[in-house]
Amino acid sequence: MAGAFGFKGCQKIHGPQIRNLLQAKDFFLFDCDGVIWHGEKAITGATTVVNSLIRRGKNVVFVTNNSTRPRENYMHKFYRLGFTDVMLEQIFSSSYCSALYLRDVVKVCGQVFVIGCDGLRTELQEAGIPCVEEEEDQPDATIFTCPLAADVKAVLVGHDDKLTFLKLAKASCYLKDPECLFLATDNDPWHPLSSGRILPGSGSLIAALEVASGRKATVIGKPSRFMFECISSQFRGVDPAQCLMVGDRLETDMLFGSNCGLDTMLTLTGVSQMEEAQEYRNSDVSTNHSLVPDYVVDTIADFIPAFEELEEQSN
Amino acid sequence: MSGVKCTPLKGALLPQVLDSVDCLLFDCDGVIWRGDEAIPGAPQVINLLKERGKRVFFVTNNSSKTRKMYADKLQALGFNAKEDEVFGTAYCSAMYLKTVCGLQGGKVYLVGSNAMSQELEAVGIQQTGVGPDHIHGKQGDWAAVELDPDVKAVLVGFDDHFSYMKLNRAFQYLTQRDCLFVGTNRDTRLPLEAGKAVPGTGCLLQAVETAAQRQAQTVGKPNHFMFDCVASQFGVDPSRCLMVGDRLDTDIMLGSNCGLKTLLTLTGVNTVADAEVHQKSGSAERQGMVPDYYVESIADLLPALQG
Repeated sequence: MAGAFGFKGCQKIHGPQIRNLLQAKDFFLFDCDGVIWHGEKAITGATTVVNSLIRRGKNVVFVTNNSTRPRENYMHKFYRLGFTDVMLEQIFSSSYCSALYLRDVVKVCGQVFVIGCDGLRTELQEAGIPCVEEEEDQPDATIFTCPLAADVKAVLVGHDDKLTFLKLAKASCYLKDPECLFLATDNDPWHPLSSGRILPGSGSLIAALEVASGRKATVIGKPSRFMFECISSQFRGVDPAQCLMVGDRLETDMLFGSNCGLDTMLTLTGVSQMEEAQEYRNSDVSTNHSLVPDYVVDTIADFIPAFEELEEQSN
Repeated sequence: MSGVKCTPLKGALLPQVLDSVDCLLFDCDGVIWRGDEAIPGAPQVINLLKERGKRVFFVTNNSSKTRKMYADKLQALGFNAKEDEVFGTAYCSAMYLKTVCGLQGGKVYLVGSNAMSQELEAVGIQQTGVGPDHIHGKQGDWAAVELDPDVKAVLVGFDDHFSYMKLNRAFQYLTQRDCLFVGTNRDTRLPLEAGKAVPGTGCLLQAVETAAQRQAQTVGKPNHFMFDCVASQFGVDPSRCLMVGDRLDTDIMLGSNCGLKTLLTLTGVNTVADAEVHQKSGSAERQGMVPDYYVESIADLLPALQG
């Protein structure tokens, strides 16, 4: 297998090769945005692919850096878009995993200062993690006049469309304490919307705080390994050799797969283009090779003919 | 080229060095004042230097005041200073956009202060964006935010109204390849007051640069532009200038970049030990952060001026 020798194929694969992959792997990890849906629209054929994998007894999980919704919300979205066989336990978002990290790895004893959306706070609350109350700051409040919470043991930063200067200033103050952890849901500098437009991502907020504090954040989401560890402990051990990571972004999905020892597949319905993958492959910088996918498809709908072949075979 | 560096400026050396320069450039925060209080002895030093016929300029990365506001503050604290002797980044960014970018008569998207807006206006550049900008609507609306077609550049300075919406607007303008990208400075933190750490312009700039995956051109120290502004208006000889500052990475580096003599004062951010670390690093680039001389405070210059 290409991955096993450290040489990434970066080749488009079709029918028979996909069929072999479907037979060889029993654990499929899918990114969401740009892979199975664009905004509120499922990618053509994606529901068939996901539902077929699940019905064939394959393990399917969804691994997303999007920290803006709680998993409950994702469940509704999956259902709404036609992915009817997906269960809550299959959804791994960076906000859910951040809550797990704080609860199970750090075993945080004290409050967490959160820069993020309601979705992130909801996941923390559900995990029993105390968050500093989000007050409506007085219009003329400054860092010199506003109170700081006591006993803040971690600063957690995710996507926050209500970001203000004051929040950055408060976080900087908490981070002066070297015992206070600095965590990030993900480091994506920007993310695309279904319209083709883009928005600033968590990565830009984290960069601001890293400069302010002189410290580096611990990133929970892809490409860090932690989300795979969450998946593995929930499924009581997962063999990386049995896995295929399917994503659209080289710097997050492919690198994540590489970091966890998984085979990787790039689908071209999202952020990254074939040319970018080839550039990383041709790069002199050897660490760039980890961003190169093993396999490439135009869309995950390319799995469908392979399913049909497998159906025919078993008939 | 390099003589002995990081020498204490005292004894016989002090009048020698003062005689060797016609022009002194002073940083402000941590050098002549701290917050709203003059450093003891600082006003006398500046005033005596001028009486002795030296040119004196104030060069600060702080973008929150116009030259007039700085002149008012200087005078209130007892410094004999004039508006045209002050070079802050609000003024210098406007000059940069006018003279280097050719934007006079044009428009910029501004993440910054009212002071920056005023300095832009004074050189005939319009701005849009200053002040609070809260989020409303949904994600799709933000990405599709209306862009003013007259905007030719994004300028980022210190802005305590910084918000996601402002970050987003700056970002959307910058997705246009021909939109220029200028920052006032990269200072990571404002001078510490009351033990609170306040994020500096460098943080806001980094947020925009990370989202846009583009680097801004910065105007402030250690970039030579601020010295170029002084030199072009006042015809000074770099070899007869002394840069006095408290930060190795901005003030002293500026001095080194422009061929000035450099003096570190210890009433602000950096220490002699910090300078020695750079000196021993073996890196050629870091030698630029080692000052020629140092004093505990600029008040130490008084003996040579009062005699």
